[in-house]
Amino acid sequence: MRTPTAFVAAIALLVGPAVIAVSAPDGEVIRAVSTPRGPVPAPSYRDGEVIVTFRAAAETRDVERALRAGGGLEARRSRGASPRFLVTLAPDIGVPEALDRFSRMPEVEFAEPNGIVRRSQAATFKPDDNFYRYQWNLTQMNAERAWGIQKGKSSVAVAVLDSGVAYEDYTDPRTRQAFRKAPDWGDTRFLPGYDFVNGDAHPNDDEYHGTHVASTIAEATNNGLGMAGLAFGCAIMPVKVLDQDGEGTFFDVAEGIDYAAEYAEGGEKPVKVINMSLGSEGTSQTVKNAIDRAYSGGVLFVAAAGNSGKGIVEFPANLPNVLAVGALDSRKEKARYSNTGADLDFVAPGGDCDRDDNADGVRDCVFQQMPDERFVAIGRHDVFCYCGLDGTSMATPHVAAAAALLFSQGFTEPASVRAALEQTAERLGGAPADGRNDTFGYGLVLPAAALPGLGLNTGPRK
Amino acid sequence: MRTVRTTFLAASALLALAPLSARGGELAIEAHGGYFDMAAENSASALFDSTGGATFGGAVRYTFWRGAFVSAGARTFSKEGERVFVTSPSSPVQKLGFPVSIRLTPIVLQAGYRFRAGHLIVPYVAAGAAITKYEETSEVAGESFDESASKTGFTGVGGVEVGRGIVRFGAEVGYTTVTGAIGSDGVSKVYGEDDIGGLHVIGKIVLAFGGR
Repeated sequence: MRTPTAFVAAIALLVGPAVIAVSAPDGEVIRAVSTPRGPVPAPSYRDGEVIVTFRAAAETRDVERALRAGGGLEARRSRGASPRFLVTLAPDIGVPEALDRFSRMPEVEFAEPNGIVRRSQAATFKPDDNFYRYQWNLTQMNAERAWGIQKGKSSVAVAVLDSGVAYEDYTDPRTRQAFRKAPDWGDTRFLPGYDFVNGDAHPNDDEYHGTHVASTIAEATNNGLGMAGLAFGCAIMPVKVLDQDGEGTFFDVAEGIDYAAEYAEGGEKPVKVINMSLGSEGTSQTVKNAIDRAYSGGVLFVAAAGNSGKGIVEFPANLPNVLAVGALDSRKEKARYSNTGADLDFVAPGGDCDRDDNADGVRDCVFQQMPDERFVAIGRHDVFCYCGLDGTSMATPHVAAAAALLFSQGFTEPASVRAALEQTAERLGGAPADGRNDTFGYGLVLPAAALPGLGLNTGPRK
Repeated sequence: MRTVRTTFLAASALLALAPLSARGGELAIEAHGGYFDMAAENSASALFDSTGGATFGGAVRYTFWRGAFVSAGARTFSKEGERVFVTSPSSPVQKLGFPVSIRLTPIVLQAGYRFRAGHLIVPYVAAGAAITKYEETSEVAGESFDESASKTGFTGVGGVEVGRGIVRFGAEVGYTTVTGAIGSDGVSKVYGEDDIGGLHVIGKIVLAFGGR
């Protein structure tokens, strides 16, 4: 995260009642009632119509009688020679009843609903979350097409090594601090995590950074509420290695990596991806060893490149077994703060809270649910907002979520996930089709392009 | 469909030559069935869990001088599997669950020689061209990943035919190599395999007309 408290456009949720206050940049407040709802299934046939095909030997008189007896109000005969009629039914006759009537008539060969055909097109999934329209970042990654293929499986978990996650209602018996579960987790599954800062099994977020990062990965989606997460079907393991000031130690990071990588349930190790939206200008053999050990065990690491705008990627993102992620703004240009360099692997939306290039009236941050920073500042961790942050910290979970979608689809090897993302990333800044550059790495990660994998002679869409 | 039509036309042309049999030639119609094993074995194993499967087809053969003959025929071979991801030839195959199918349809034009023509057991050899149509189809959540190409390669076969009457039986082993139709993308690119040919072992039922 580049600007810890600078979310220019704040969308505040008043916890408790289902009334949401939306604050636009100009201060206008819109109040709306949140009404969770599911998608309305599209009908598969036209109501009030059936197609009836008569036997060739049927007399005209019999046909007319049958059309009336079946409940037809009017009928249109096929322009061709076929004795086929489109029958408009009387208002009190339903399609099933009419089909039942016609099917019993000896002069009718068959009758069927007037089904609806649609153009064939690639499946997409557009969630109904009420602030989804502000998530330009997900549009930039073609998330709707990715969701049309894969929404994530709860058997695949992303461990978020961060300031914790607001994932439970809990009162710390030592400090009497009350933590609340953020409002838009829905059915998101949480694996048992650990707080390596305070040494307990309740890695709640006493800042906000970790909750925002985790929400980019798996905030409840299509529940009519709040924002969407890119791999919303996947599970989250909260691992707290950063304190309330956003600082941690190499020792705790290594401990967190070991914990997440070794966690098993039912003989399986569900943590396939570890997200580290953190960085250091120093290096650590302890952390490197932990990463290498976990990577060889099948865990993919994704880390932030850094926000100083320098031409060097920070540790641990610069390690060979870590995907280093830089940030794009909404124009798909390198965010001005994003670090670059030979170790940069990918870019993803990190936002820029000082701009509104997409002219939606809201600054181009990355918006997710998180503890409201204004309340955190006074020691309260039970008030939440849909707030915007920017930074390579925000870009990193987009790549972690993309990797989680690939693991959900059947990828099993970190190296394969990396290769698939490399091959299918959108090249930017003149990077060659089979290569990278130091500003954008291999380019913008596009999970929808990587998910289809390979046929005999068909590769992913480039 | 075009392949079937082409084969039909070729067969019809040869049948039109039937009167030639009255002048000493032998016309034969063959039905084939057997096993085909793909040359692109790593790619096939990755996608289909096996490299071979059943193949069916037919041919028309005209023996025009002693044991010398020409033939035209076609076979079809198809496999169904699922899309995968594989990083390198030595890395594990990861199955992704999206169905994929391929169909190979070689049209084979050959010239050959039948040894000991007129005997009960007639060995033969032949070589020629295999114009092979390659079709791959798969769909990922509504998006089609289809490809079709035709390439010409070479084929060589050896076999025996048993019988003297109109109805005969035979067995044949052959190898076809058709390069360049695959290998530009997908798993075939990863494994560096570009040949859609392979080994076939087939049985034949032959209806022969004319000849000595």
